[in-house]
Amino acid sequence: MNDVYEALARAIRTGERVAVATVAHTRGSTPRRAGAKMLIRADGSFCGTIGGGCGEAEVRIEAMAIVQGGAARVVTVDLTNEIDGPDKICGGVMEVYIEPVDPFLRVDNAGTA
Amino acid sequence: MMPDSTIAITQAVLRALEGGEAVATATVIARPEGAAGPDVSARLLVRAEGEGLGSLGGGPLEDGARAAALEALRDRISHTVWLHPDGTPAQRADPSAYQVLIEAIAAPETLLIVGGGHIGLSLATIGEHLGFSVAVIDERPEYASPERFPMADQAICGEFDEEVRRFPIGADTYVVIVTRGHRQDETALREAVGRGARYVGMIGSRRRVGAVLRHLVADGVPPYELERVHTPIGLDIGAETPAEIAVSIIAEIIQLQRGGSGRPMRERRAKLPTADADAVADAE
Repeated sequence: MNDVYEALARAIRTGERVAVATVAHTRGSTPRRAGAKMLIRADGSFCGTIGGGCGEAEVRIEAMAIVQGGAARVVTVDLTNEIDGPDKICGGVMEVYIEPVDPFLRVDNAGTA
Repeated sequence: MMPDSTIAITQAVLRALEGGEAVATATVIARPEGAAGPDVSARLLVRAEGEGLGSLGGGPLEDGARAAALEALRDRISHTVWLHPDGTPAQRADPSAYQVLIEAIAAPETLLIVGGGHIGLSLATIGEHLGFSVAVIDERPEYASPERFPMADQAICGEFDEEVRRFPIGADTYVVIVTRGHRQDETALREAVGRGARYVGMIGSRRRVGAVLRHLVADGVPPYELERVHTPIGLDIGAETPAEIAVSIIAEIIQLQRGGSGRPMRERRAKLPTADADAVADAE
């Protein structure tokens, strides 16, 4: 089974708060397509990839803030800059949806689950 | 606050990934400012048949999102749609539209390798790395053992005709026939064609595969089914060793999945600035 979902299932079981980042939309050349996912924990450790490099690092930092109590939102990662730089030279733009997953909140509200 | 159905949706997604019924989800990921409709992270799950889970408010927006999710369930393509509150499609990034992430969620596709020899072993290794659920069939116990194929979900030892016939082949199955001999290949192909596999490929030289295909036509296998068989197998990259041949086969499968051209990426690169006219003239 998919590693990210496996890690998500584990987090829900153990009651760990995590965030899930999903590539929602891409324009131009990007390493992963819509649907690619990664899971980020409060300490910044993660599972899965949305393409690696600086773009992914940006998403991880945003996700860590969201794990700590931020609201779900879309982060736009621009990979069109720095053509001569060491990273982010894919040339595309990626919209990544980051959502906090709070198992306790879920259990409390699981009236119809 | 999260919707009540979140746990049920997560469970349905996990079941789909474990081989259950495929599902698709539609998640509101951005909404127009001040809109009255569903919040960000509201989620709807759809199935090909039967009741869904969750809600995007129950109005026309939900109907539009459900239609997009059902389409994704068929095409297996995740993407984002922008929808007006009345459910009609909007321009990308329209500030008066909802942004809805549509995700298709299904169990890994199956790579069925018929023949557990050198090529089969390389195919199993690469296939598992790519996320396929790998199954191997061979008649010889030592070539169909879990010890030889620790990366495979199934290592099946038995007669090729019987085991291929018994194996559940469907639209998510990629069948690669690489046994030790063309007679066995023919036996396996006979059982694999016409069952709706996404890909059927069989190894062999042009001459060999021509003979196999003629035998099957003579036996009454519809020619249009045989036309679809990838044989000789693989992309032409000059592969010689078993590992190279496995790469060539996997490349052909990825090309089918992703719709690539098979041509070098370099051909799509922007041209370098051309040398000035004098240099060109000197060279001539």
